Amino acid sequence: MSRTAPRLGPTAPKKLVEDGDICPVCKSSRYLNPNMVFKVNPECYHKMCESCVDRIFSHGPAPCPIAGCRRTLRKARFKKPNFEDIQIEREVDIRRRVASVFNRREDEFDTLLDYNNYLNEVEDITFNLIHKIDLDATEKKLAAYADSNKQSIQANVSRASQETTSFQARQAAEREQERLRREAARRDDEEKKRILEENRRNILNTLATTDGDANRIAKEGQRVALKKSSARRALTDRRPDVVASDPFTAATANGNADGGAFVIKGLKKVVEPEAEKPYDPFGGLSDETQYYVLQDTYQYEDVDKYMSDVQYTAGGYDFGEWYSRALCEAFSGLGVFIGEETSGRDAAAAVPIAMAATAATVVGVEKSADDVF
Amino acid sequence: MAVSPLPLYNASPRSNKTKPLTHRPNPKGSSADAASTPNPKSKASIDGVLDLAERLNAETKSQYIKGKWLGKGTYANVYEAHLKSNPSQLFAIKKMIVGAEAKDGLSMDSIREVKYLQELSHPNIIKLHAVFSSKNQNLNLVLEHLPRGSLEQLISEGDIQYGSADIKAWMGMLARGLHHCHSNFILHRDIKPGNVLVAADGELKLADFGLARSFADPWTRMTYLVITRWYRPPELLFQARHYGSTADVWSVGVIFAELVIRKAWMPGGSDLEQLHLIANVVGLPTEDVWPGVSKLDGYIKLTKDPAAPQTPVQHRQQMQREFALVGPEGVDLLMQMMALDPRKRATAKKVLMHEWWNMEPKPRRKEDLPRKVEKSKEGMADALKRKPGELEGGTGRGDKVARKIDFGAFGR
Ligand SMILES: Nc1ncnc2c1ncn2[C@@H]1O[C@H](COP(=O)(O)OP(=O)(O)O)[C@@H](O)[C@H]1O
Ligand SMILES: [Mg+2]
Ligand SMILES: [Zn+2]
Ligand SMILES: [Zn+2]
Repeated sequence: MSRTAPRLGPTAPKKLVEDGDICPVCKSSRYLNPNMVFKVNPECYHKMCESCVDRIFSHGPAPCPIAGCRRTLRKARFKKPNFEDIQIEREVDIRRRVASVFNRREDEFDTLLDYNNYLNEVEDITFNLIHKIDLDATEKKLAAYADSNKQSIQANVSRASQETTSFQARQAAEREQERLRREAARRDDEEKKRILEENRRNILNTLATTDGDANRIAKEGQRVALKKSSARRALTDRRPDVVASDPFTAATANGNADGGAFVIKGLKKVVEPEAEKPYDPFGGLSDETQYYVLQDTYQYEDVDKYMSDVQYTAGGYDFGEWYSRALCEAFSGLGVFIGEETSGRDAAAAVPIAMAATAATVVGVEKSADDVF
Repeated sequence: MAVSPLPLYNASPRSNKTKPLTHRPNPKGSSADAASTPNPKSKASIDGVLDLAERLNAETKSQYIKGKWLGKGTYANVYEAHLKSNPSQLFAIKKMIVGAEAKDGLSMDSIREVKYLQELSHPNIIKLHAVFSSKNQNLNLVLEHLPRGSLEQLISEGDIQYGSADIKAWMGMLARGLHHCHSNFILHRDIKPGNVLVAADGELKLADFGLARSFADPWTRMTYLVITRWYRPPELLFQARHYGSTADVWSVGVIFAELVIRKAWMPGGSDLEQLHLIANVVGLPTEDVWPGVSKLDGYIKLTKDPAAPQTPVQHRQQMQREFALVGPEGVDLLMQMMALDPRKRATAKKVLMHEWWNMEPKPRRKEDLPRKVEKSKEGMADALKRKPGELEGGTGRGDKVARKIDFGAFGR
């Protein structure tokens, strides 16, 4: 363990930082016992070795053995510090504790200003706790907020864990997808090899059973194979490796902001998430019409001659589609009520005029240019 | 009030044909002017209408401020634009390139696009807000602003990650848009990933109606030179002049496949090569599977590569392997969309009635769909590495957020 310059806060227990390699309780040293592990308890952050912790606290809560401390400590709360500087360890713990209570998110606020004001308030509380300013009052504020915002805090906690899970789920899905793609490519290759092998055997068979030009038959087989492989090359994947995208878009629920001493301004109104409806592939569009029912065929002399024409059947022309268009156009006038039309003309007259600059040409083209379409 | 028998989205009581086309934030009494339009039968009054038209055109034009260039397609440049009266309201202005094929000073494509787009109103079809002409009779279409790129980018940009729930959501939106076109008797005829754009809320929008037309009468011959080659169905490659709406379904089927494999599926370099790719990947177009095909004008007898699947069963097995991601039902839907015989191919309606939509996983909600460029979630380590006062890069709202380190995540 290396020594770093001690970072001393207003109440830094100076000695602890300096005697980094000797347990202040049992005085054993790391030189004699290289596996020695130091632990701290967030109650007072006094450092001591693991065997001292086991010895003193295994039988229940006991006072801290460091001279002048005497705080009651429990074994379960001892932990290995993350930082060599115990002041930093303590600050991070405090920040984590505050952050777990004040866990509002930016999207819960109406404006960015509101969110920043909130962050400022939270930082004030954190600062006071770290530097032991107005300690009692500040702790009370924190507790009061935690108490009156239980719901929202819990909601944000589960939201965060959901995001982690869905992020992992998406990554897993993506890995699966990659695997399937590779698998498909591999089987594709095998299949190709198999077919080529079959083809080779066919050539040999042809050579064996016919008296055709051996060279020509073999060349033909080769040519086809070559063409195929170059076509494959043209198709090579243009996709580079993928990087995770951001799945963090879950909906949220806010608790009430009546935090007593700590009032958050600018929180958005809680919106109940809509119940999820079953997926409708048509998205609400109905293509039923109230005016007519389409028949399979209509007797229409002029059209009958086309119906059996192979240029229409093989081309995919659909007479049903044409009937439906024709019927729709025929019925387009049915809902017109002359009275309404004339009284509504003032408003309606403005409608086509946006296009009037081009209207003359558009109308002209529509009639004569069908073949260009 | 005219009630159209056309199927309407949300069954609005108003006909979509008579819906006001222009976006009018400031009517400025223009409808009062219009009300005084005289009987259009007299010669003088036609001049009057044109004068009025010119004034209204100038008025529409002056409402929009053209901004930065957004993209170029085959026939047009597209620019960002906003309302003069409300700069936060964004639009896209599609300015048609006047080409040699222009007829009477107006290109056929812009006419088609205006003609068909104004008839369609659906969440999965790009919305046309207004039209005005600029110098040279150049048409400008004021379209809804779709800032999140096209399906082409989603498919090919590797750092966008998505799975089968996302594919199902996108396919659902695309199929709905297509079904709405066909319910309104309109063929799109240029469906490809680059013409399917993504709105700010994640909704997909079928765009670029430059090659659209309405269902043809039986006595009308249509051109077969439509639909970008990789997405073109075999009947058009065989030069059929009487085809149906399932030509568009083929294109959507190819997009479906590309969403899964994330690369071009059948990138033919010529029409002939395209036919060979179809024969090898989908199947050989023969009289057996497609009666009458050999009578089509452009029919060519095709042969298969020996390395390709030889029987329909082998084709199905290959598809099952290659598209395993969407499950057996998804593959079945894809194969129905890729039927060689256009009459056996699923219609848009049949696509929407397929059981795949009801299988797990459910389509992703549109607000949760993956999008281009995302910031990764930063851990404490990254936050600590930054110098004090230094903030995350980018231009999002996050820039102005006070620096906040996630202590909860540390030391667990
Ligand atoms: N409404 C829009 N919002 C944003 N970008 C658009 C919009 N419309 C088109 N673009 C961009 O312009 C490109 C060309 O548009 P498109 O309508 O396909 O033109 P073209 O008919 O010339 O192919 C699109 O690929 C897209 O990048
Ligand atoms: Mg385009
Ligand atoms: Zn000790
Ligand atoms: Zn102590």
